[in-house]
Amino acid sequence: MSAPLASPPATEAALLWLVLLVPPLLGLLAWRFPPRRMLPVLLAGLPLPLATLWLLPRVAGGAVLEGSWAPGGLQLHWRLDGLAGLLLLLTQLLLLASAAYAVGHRRATELAERAFAGFWPLLGGLAAALGVIWVAADLLTLYAALELMGLTAVGMMLLPGKPEALAAGLRYLLYALVGSLAWLLGVALLLGATGRLDLAGLAADAEAGPVTGIAMALLAAGLLLKAAVFPLHGWLAPVHASAWTQVSALHGALVVKASFFILMQLWQRLVPEAQAAAWLLGALGSLAVLWGGLQAWRASRLKQVVAWSTVGQLGYLMLAFPLLAGTSAAVASLAWQATWLQLAGHALAKAAMFMAAGNLVLSVGQSRLADLAGTSRQLPLSLMTFGLAAVTLMGLPPSAGFTAKWLLLQAAILAGQWPWVIVLVAGTLLTAAYVFRVFRCAFVEEAPRHDFRPLPAGMDLIALLLALAALALGLGAEWPLALLREGGLP
Amino acid sequence: MSGALILLATLGSSLLAAVIIFLLPERAFRARTGLNLGAALIKLGLVAWMVWGLSRGGEYAVEFPVLEGLAFVLRADPLGIMFAGLSSLLWLFTTVYAIGYLEDSPNRKRFFGFFSLCVASTLGISLAGNLFTFLVFYELLTLSTYPLVAHRGTAKALAAGKVYLRFTLTAGLVLMIGMVALHALAGDIRFGQREILAEFGPERRPLLVGLFWVLIAGFGVKAALVPLHGWLPRAMVAPAPVSALLHAVAVVKAGAFGIVRLVYDVYGIELSDALGLLNGLVAVASVTILYGSLRALAQQELKPRLAYSTVSQVSYIVLGIGLFGPLGTIAALSHLLHQGLMKITLFFCAGNYAEELGIHRIDELDGAGRRMPLTSLAFTVGALGMIGLPPVVGFLSKWYLGTGAIQAGLPWVIAVLVASSLLNAAYFLPILARLWFRPGPDHGVGAWPEERRLGRLETHAWLLVPAVVTALFSLMAGVLAGMPFSPLEWATGVANAEYLP
Amino acid sequence: MSLSGELLPAGLLVLLAAACLLDRRLYRACLSFIAFALVMALAWWRLAAPWLALAEALLGALLTGMALLHGLGRAGSPSPLPPHDHHRRPRHQAAARWLAVLVWLALAGAAVWGVSGSGGLIAPGDGARRPLLAAGLAIMGLGLWAFAHHLHLLRRLLAFNVLGSGVFLLLAGLAGPVVEVQGLILVGLVVALVGSVLGSALLRRLHERDGRVTLGDEPEAGP
Repeated sequence: MSAPLASPPATEAALLWLVLLVPPLLGLLAWRFPPRRMLPVLLAGLPLPLATLWLLPRVAGGAVLEGSWAPGGLQLHWRLDGLAGLLLLLTQLLLLASAAYAVGHRRATELAERAFAGFWPLLGGLAAALGVIWVAADLLTLYAALELMGLTAVGMMLLPGKPEALAAGLRYLLYALVGSLAWLLGVALLLGATGRLDLAGLAADAEAGPVTGIAMALLAAGLLLKAAVFPLHGWLAPVHASAWTQVSALHGALVVKASFFILMQLWQRLVPEAQAAAWLLGALGSLAVLWGGLQAWRASRLKQVVAWSTVGQLGYLMLAFPLLAGTSAAVASLAWQATWLQLAGHALAKAAMFMAAGNLVLSVGQSRLADLAGTSRQLPLSLMTFGLAAVTLMGLPPSAGFTAKWLLLQAAILAGQWPWVIVLVAGTLLTAAYVFRVFRCAFVEEAPRHDFRPLPAGMDLIALLLALAALALGLGAEWPLALLREGGLP
Repeated sequence: MSGALILLATLGSSLLAAVIIFLLPERAFRARTGLNLGAALIKLGLVAWMVWGLSRGGEYAVEFPVLEGLAFVLRADPLGIMFAGLSSLLWLFTTVYAIGYLEDSPNRKRFFGFFSLCVASTLGISLAGNLFTFLVFYELLTLSTYPLVAHRGTAKALAAGKVYLRFTLTAGLVLMIGMVALHALAGDIRFGQREILAEFGPERRPLLVGLFWVLIAGFGVKAALVPLHGWLPRAMVAPAPVSALLHAVAVVKAGAFGIVRLVYDVYGIELSDALGLLNGLVAVASVTILYGSLRALAQQELKPRLAYSTVSQVSYIVLGIGLFGPLGTIAALSHLLHQGLMKITLFFCAGNYAEELGIHRIDELDGAGRRMPLTSLAFTVGALGMIGLPPVVGFLSKWYLGTGAIQAGLPWVIAVLVASSLLNAAYFLPILARLWFRPGPDHGVGAWPEERRLGRLETHAWLLVPAVVTALFSLMAGVLAGMPFSPLEWATGVANAEYLP
Repeated sequence: MSLSGELLPAGLLVLLAAACLLDRRLYRACLSFIAFALVMALAWWRLAAPWLALAEALLGALLTGMALLHGLGRAGSPSPLPPHDHHRRPRHQAAARWLAVLVWLALAGAAVWGVSGSGGLIAPGDGARRPLLAAGLAIMGLGLWAFAHHLHLLRRLLAFNVLGSGVFLLLAGLAGPVVEVQGLILVGLVVALVGSVLGSALLRRLHERDGRVTLGDEPEAGP
């Protein structure tokens, strides 16, 4: 990649690209020499979030780092604002946690050496793809990053090599490929109508009309499919059933969110005033909340509960669309903050929950809920982590989920959009129902005792730290939200 | 030490205790006991320090912004510190009792961890400085009591936990919606900023009335107002110290305290009166008082009878709030303290009977006074107080309620009080009669259901001492009501300083 | 470039796509696909995009074709796939799938309407791209139908590839062979290739393990 052409301070731009491109290199290194201990992984990865932390004050107060380069006459743009910076930080922390967890997972189970080595370059690729998605500012870069993300995610899902994993991965692959074709068709229409691909230019040039609308619909269809939004969620739960824990954690926490992020970016630039369509998305989100919650409640295996919970929780994010379309500035600001806080809180909590569930399943050696009996005595830490993560998912204080719910409720009440209040209530109660179902199983005292397999302490610790981070984000929401507010909507 | 630090240390003492208890291994019995007692004493000391500091005009407040225009506020005001004092005092006794009660039972680490968390939440509730902060700790209380209610892990305990969650989580949501709507309407209202809502014009009045009842519905579940009381009797399956916690220290008190905050600190008693909200509260409270007493009469087991008695007694607080005027306010605030002292005594005693003699049903209590004289004396003090006989504190509550009713111009409330007292007598006196006057196994008639000799005294000392001490406190609070720092004087001081026109 | 000069390759493309998607004999279908990709390369050449033509011939025809043939297991592998696709989608449980297909087709139809509704999109004198647009739409429709209808995984991969080519044609037809379009198509070609390779490899593994050539949740309707 050639050097940036535009004006931002060279140090910052260079550092940003370093942060984006180092993970794949580290991944390749780890492929050649798979790590055996958690500490080297943490030490190697730690400079990345630190660098992002250094960059964040430079995009505070609504400042933006942006630039472009032109390989072969093609103008490509990038842009780092407060939101992108925060998401980048979140991504790096979660990737780091997942990498460290993977090392522990390797020690606790007998994995094929080759499959374990293959995890690392895929992780590096995923890191690069996600980073580029947060900062990309044109449709071509977004397309390439989106595809890289999808393919690395599929690859990671396939690593266990079991027949169920293969079948589920193949289904995911087919869905993802078709989703990206819908996206490409949308891009084709936009390119035909305006002749440009950069987001800023599109926002200025695209006229509200049928072509923009249909293009947006196609883009949205592709992205909703990749984000597993109801009713296009069918591929999600089977994929998680057989994937490795650290992969499920990353997928549920980040990969589906990236599609949502792109959708939100495009929506705000192309059709910010389309109320009917926004309400349709909100309605889909509501159905997702209800359906995902019901399925999680009915699921009989622990990982299925967590996977279906992702479907439900993504629905909350979709409520942002109707609250942003044609509402007052106050409502829009509240909804905007609520959405990203919910996204971050859910990402941390869902990763923690997948890891805690993975630890429970690994220790017990069984994956059914009924087999959890006695874990409250034998595996209190894993169960506690599961509970702390669940606090965020339920939106109970003091957690990011709670603060986000407060903001969402306030936005919905101020805007007079009462249906979403009902959805939030129903979603919370359903979440509580499936979470406490798990706890009821774990609290049962009279049950046959399994042999509990001991796990490396780090595995529980990582999950616990993530869950605590999700809690801390609840009362400490002011710092990230201030960054978001100053940046404002695109 | 600065005010903010003391405040945080008070809250942090039990929070930290909870974390350390979770980190300690299950078998670390001595360390856990020391930690529990140490944290309870430190907390009590810090609260006492703040009481002293407040009386000298000190300021104890911490706040930081959480959202735009919304802050997390902790502030020690006279009312809050009064509740904090009650809960930290009773926590000390409950901790001692729980250590004795759970000796040799499984899962003690989990129990005491959540136990500490529960008290930390209660303290947070008492020190919260606005509705948002209140809600944070209120929901935390729900979460931290669930593992205690479901502690035994039996099918019955798990079912009770399920019912408890259904009620309290739904109520928490209703409360949250009400608070968010109020926030959207009026911004961040600190407790004590009564003028904000009072300044709204008449066109907003219906909205305010509606929001008030939404919030009351949210608080009413924990305060066990009829018809939202269903969870309380079922939660009886929990161990006795948890019952004491639910009924006297934390949960129902948190609901009642929420109503106190709402009426006195958010709406203001004058606005509430002007909007006609107080009469509604009086009506709800009267129904609850009579219904709870009637249901208590019908129970054949000891703990459910006490549970329905709680339903009835906590509504005395709500009744006092509803009586416009200084006497009603004093009655409400003082009963918040009195009910805690008396009810915790009764539950400790019920736990002692169950532990030492295996007694659960009332008709098994015959002659227990001879076998366990101190416990039975403590029970008698608590029961007489509930009925309202002087010199136990219960008498004072009823006296102030009665005079408050006349002051508020609602003389029919006196009829409710008389009826309730008669019902109280009808369900407590037979128990006392059985304890003292019926011949039992110690007179050579029949046998105890399951007798265990737990200690050299009539039962384990850790179980006996808290019951006797709280009974003494109930007695002394009544006899020495005129002394400074008695609950009544305190309540009067708070009412005079803060809440009267 | 004359209009009639474009009609021939466009028509050929549609014909080859149909042949590729309708043929139940998998080997012949794969060969049709390779031919289809080569004609695509020709079309890019005629649109004055020689690099794209080269990429299409290399990635689209050669490598993707090899991947598909490998998935078929022709070249002396121990467990080749059965040469015929016998699977038929059972009628009674197809309602949900058909709904999805209809939504997709509605979106595609709406796109057609949107394109023709704003005729000013295509500069005058550039009408040579109209046959491409029409061919692209037709191929996309075919691909969609096939993707939703087929059960056999190899045929679904073929359908996906054809569908992708249809989208590329539309893209080029709408915006002309500008550098952005070439970039997008290049990325798309790489993605399609990687997808096909992954899909074929997975298909082979699935077939080796438990002899199936469809995804798990659909009942095996074939013999």
